[in-house]
Amino acid sequence: MRHVVVDPITRIEGHLRVEVQVDEGSGKVTDALSSGTAWRGLELIMKDRDPRDVWAYIQRICGVCTTAHALASVRAVEDALSIKIPKNANYIRNIMAATLTVQDHLVHFYHLHALDWVSPVDALAADPVATANLQTTILNAYRLPLKGPSSGLETEAYPHDFPAATPQYFAAVKDKVKAIVESGQLGIFAAQWWDHPDYKLLPPEVHLLAVAHYLEMLDKQRELVAPHVIFGGKNPHPHYVVGGMPCSISLDDGNAPINTARLDIVDRAINMGRTLVNFYYLPDLLAVGTAYVKAGRVDGGGLAKTRVLAYGAYPIEEYAGTSTKGGGGFFKNLLIRCNGVVENFGQGAANAKFTEITAEDLADPKVFTESVEHSWYNYPQNDNDEIHPWEGITEPKFTGPKEGTATEWQSLNERGKYSWLKTPKWKGKVCEVGPLARYIIIYTKAQKGLLPDMTWAEKMMLDQIAAVSNLLGLAPEAWLPTMVGRTAVRALDCQLHAEINKFFFDKLIANIRSGDTNVANMEMWNPKNWPKECQGVGIYEAPRGALSHWIDIKDGKTNNYQCVVPTTWNSCPRDSKAGYGAYELAMMDTHVQIPDKPLEIAKVIRSFDPCMACATHMYNAKGERITVITTDPYSGTRVEK
Amino acid sequence: MDKRESMWEYYLRKGMSRRSFLKGCVALTSIMGLSTDMVSKVVEAAEKKPLPVVVWIHGHECTGCDESFIRSGAPLASDLVLNEIALEYDHLLSAACGAPFEAHLEETIQKYKGQYILAVEGAVCTKDNGVYCMSGGHTFTHLLKHAASNALAIIAYGSCAAYGGIQAAKPNPTGSSGIGSFVGRSPIINVPGCPPIPEVMTGVIMHLALFNKVPSLDHDGRPKQFYGNRIHDTCYRRPFFDAGMFAEHFDDAGAKAGWCLYKLGCRGPETYNSCGNLRWFQGMSYPIQSGAPCIGCSSAHFWDEDPLTARMPDYGPFGNVDKIGAVAAAVTAVGVMAHGAMSIVQKNQRDKIEAKKHGEQVNK
Amino acid sequence: MKEVTRKIYYLFSPWLRIFHWIMVVCILTLFVTGLLITNPWFIFAVDPTYSGMMVDNIRNIHFLAAYIFSASFILRIYGFIVNPGDRLFSHVWKGYFYRNVVDVMLHYMFLKHEHASYLRNPLARCSYTFLYVLVFIEMLTGFAIYYMTNINGIGGILFGWVIPLLGGEYMAHLIHHYVAWGILLFAFGHVYMVIRAEFMEGESEVSSMFAGSKILAHEPRDAGHLDGTLK
Repeated sequence: MRHVVVDPITRIEGHLRVEVQVDEGSGKVTDALSSGTAWRGLELIMKDRDPRDVWAYIQRICGVCTTAHALASVRAVEDALSIKIPKNANYIRNIMAATLTVQDHLVHFYHLHALDWVSPVDALAADPVATANLQTTILNAYRLPLKGPSSGLETEAYPHDFPAATPQYFAAVKDKVKAIVESGQLGIFAAQWWDHPDYKLLPPEVHLLAVAHYLEMLDKQRELVAPHVIFGGKNPHPHYVVGGMPCSISLDDGNAPINTARLDIVDRAINMGRTLVNFYYLPDLLAVGTAYVKAGRVDGGGLAKTRVLAYGAYPIEEYAGTSTKGGGGFFKNLLIRCNGVVENFGQGAANAKFTEITAEDLADPKVFTESVEHSWYNYPQNDNDEIHPWEGITEPKFTGPKEGTATEWQSLNERGKYSWLKTPKWKGKVCEVGPLARYIIIYTKAQKGLLPDMTWAEKMMLDQIAAVSNLLGLAPEAWLPTMVGRTAVRALDCQLHAEINKFFFDKLIANIRSGDTNVANMEMWNPKNWPKECQGVGIYEAPRGALSHWIDIKDGKTNNYQCVVPTTWNSCPRDSKAGYGAYELAMMDTHVQIPDKPLEIAKVIRSFDPCMACATHMYNAKGERITVITTDPYSGTRVEK
Repeated sequence: MDKRESMWEYYLRKGMSRRSFLKGCVALTSIMGLSTDMVSKVVEAAEKKPLPVVVWIHGHECTGCDESFIRSGAPLASDLVLNEIALEYDHLLSAACGAPFEAHLEETIQKYKGQYILAVEGAVCTKDNGVYCMSGGHTFTHLLKHAASNALAIIAYGSCAAYGGIQAAKPNPTGSSGIGSFVGRSPIINVPGCPPIPEVMTGVIMHLALFNKVPSLDHDGRPKQFYGNRIHDTCYRRPFFDAGMFAEHFDDAGAKAGWCLYKLGCRGPETYNSCGNLRWFQGMSYPIQSGAPCIGCSSAHFWDEDPLTARMPDYGPFGNVDKIGAVAAAVTAVGVMAHGAMSIVQKNQRDKIEAKKHGEQVNK
Repeated sequence: MKEVTRKIYYLFSPWLRIFHWIMVVCILTLFVTGLLITNPWFIFAVDPTYSGMMVDNIRNIHFLAAYIFSASFILRIYGFIVNPGDRLFSHVWKGYFYRNVVDVMLHYMFLKHEHASYLRNPLARCSYTFLYVLVFIEMLTGFAIYYMTNINGIGGILFGWVIPLLGGEYMAHLIHHYVAWGILLFAFGHVYMVIRAEFMEGESEVSSMFAGSKILAHEPRDAGHLDGTLK
């Protein structure tokens, strides 16, 4: 039995450590833990801030999924203040959200995940001519020609960003890679386990092609986020405003934030996103994924087989409220009705159980809870009590590692406390969230006939699943809840979001054409018009999964702020009642060939697209009980001391 | 950086033999995870002049600065990372992870002692010996101290590394601060912003690569060419400020026409950055151009200079300064009148006493 | 009637008097234009603001007043050199200073009918030192903000250190603004005290700032400051 530590896990956001027990004979992982090793206390910093500013502060949780937290935050404040944002603002926010997902997924695959699959060293053995031929083969075999609804507004004449398939191009890339390897200064490619047998699963030409696309996408990903720069002024961390968007529209002013010329930039970026995902990302990924599946690599599913959760995505039109207090309009108006939990999907969609998540559930003290049995916090009675966030107590209890000192860790204590993440639960159970969860839920609902009047997006998701199942020769139940499935679905999600981008852009244009240029509802801007105390919740299906922000406003100031974040769901520590967290289960569902070089572990962790800065909760460094995050739209907010 | 030498030159300077140099190359080959038939290539490379080595470490941060870095349009991040520098350690882009990655970091620090550029992203958290920011089983303070003491120059990327950033905002639960006072050595190039403009981030490295020296810095350690101007002084909406044409509310007629956002809390008049001249995404936009008032994200304490949508006189630790001033003036006026009235009473009494004295004198 | 012998003490040089009245005009101008810059006026009370009074003009007036004010300091310094009466700063290192302050304060608190006679009231001396400190802060922060338009210019080099020292330009603006109010409050008190002194003591306080002389009935305690006999 070998104890293997991987710390830091790189090519993610933030600080993550994993430890696994590997049986050297069988390569089986018998125990695994994941630990968030840093915490910044942003929720505490929100206290007493102007709720109209909070989006800017809380957005700084994460610069990778930038915009996600800002969007959830303005939605929470608008829910609390019963603000209905204008149509244009809803469309623009949806475009910004979908843009984030497209860009984030693409960057995740090529720049954060690809080097687990492909190696620049192996690329040196590739034949440029064969690589050029391979490019053609991939485009023939692995494209999914699916599209969103057409509004008749197609501005792209032909695909401007098309993969080169010429031997000269691949020879040039190969020469550059060769020069780097031979220079001895490998830079970003240094010190990886390039001799790991996993890299031999793919022929050298795939490696060369992927390395070429790694570089191309590194240059092009920046152009995908142009909508953030136009609508929000910059990226990372674009600007928002409570009540709508700051980017006023005027087709009569050259100095206007949004006019025809500015919209054309957005249009170009959206078309580019569609092209990149259809001609690069999706074919590349399906080619690599198919090779892995054909090699029998269908492990790493973990919790996805037993329980996945999502909140539902994209309000099509402007809506009133998210929580029941605000009218629950959010849930009545969704483009992707994946709000719910699917259990036991691993046993087939027919045997799986679907439970819907409603506006009422958000307020129910028994539905969403958190435990701290293995987190560096203390509960007054039992650490595995299930306490709803608004009753929650955050009393830090840093116990140090199992071996080593507080500042020099050898190994963490899997029997005790080992992470700054709490364990969030749905009805007492841990869940996996993310694109995979969204697809499993939509697929299961469709199989059970729970999706009447399917939207085009839901239909497209089912078509994507069918096409990939066909390609792999496996039933969805077999390939979806796996490491490859998690990564593949992210590409499908990317394609879907490229179309969602186009869908909302067309709606925006149509609405402006009808003469509506409003982007902000300023009726409730002045705090004098606010109730003395109010609560709200903002929900968003972020690239990494279900995200919710909770705010309590008192006397015009933020009294309490709470974020329940996708990576907290996935990366949480174990719990004696609910079992292991999603990362831990996925690692334990992964075969490790060489314990000294646990590439499979890094790969399965990265298949979740970890975002650690988002995930860590607050604590008080002095070891005192502190004021904490205890919001609920129904039962009010308590400040625990 | 002119001192940068090849590995072979280093061995020569140390008086070590060709034999030990070759042994070093063999060891290096295995560390890089290359097969032994690559040794001759490594030997060849180790005799050449290497690229400037950059080590990029992360404290309390959000990775937004890394993301901004790869958004650079000129130079493209790929050109920079592959041709201009050797980015030997970076949590976002580096292929490796875990123990081999940490070993590679130590190897890099030793091999390029006093010659590598250290890029720091994120604040340093010092409370309770820094246990709230751990990486590789160590505190970030440990890593920063070690990496900084052996660096040629240090780049503090982003407002967190330069000034402490969001986690250092009140009440600063983790005791975070900028790295300057912690590492206590120079040169530190402060590149503030939340995040800094992509081309500013890459521009600083390009300056080092092209001109072999630290760019000229202002009083706050910021490169003058990127932080020498206030956004207000370079803003395309400045003529509207000068003419007195302001948006009064979001999405009003002034906002639609693109007038000055000063009255919506814009921090442009206090903020030193290249948003007005370089702009974001090579001239595409910046917050003000997109109708959003600047929040001053490259200023040292901007998070605690809130509310962000209010300006002076509304901003301040005690509230609206003009209201405070007016109240103080009114109180002073009342006080003056009261004091004046009492002074009249006092004078009358005194005059009476004087008159009495005077009368007594006359009577004598 | 009681006969009162009064003596004329020549106190204030023309340079100080000119400086004083320039200061009055400049401070008023700077204060009003400063408030307008902070929160630009709008003539038509409509949304959005369209100001008839161009902010650019207001700023230029502000800067012009600031330059005139700063330049007039040269007069003040010249007066300081040539005339002992311009040098009546607080002698805080001397015991009699505190005795005199207590004397005056008891009178102002209506605990004494009158205070002794002074060429320059010791409390007033303190307040002018305080005023110069305020004015100095205004000049430092004001020029720092003003000159940072060109950090490589002489002004940028001279004043560039101020803003990082204060922790940011927003703080510089805030301090500049608070201190401006401080100066205004000083002016309130100053005008009142001068008028009061004129009324209570009849000691030609107001006219002294025109004519330069005070006509006092009693030998002032600090008379030695003029000829250097009181050290």
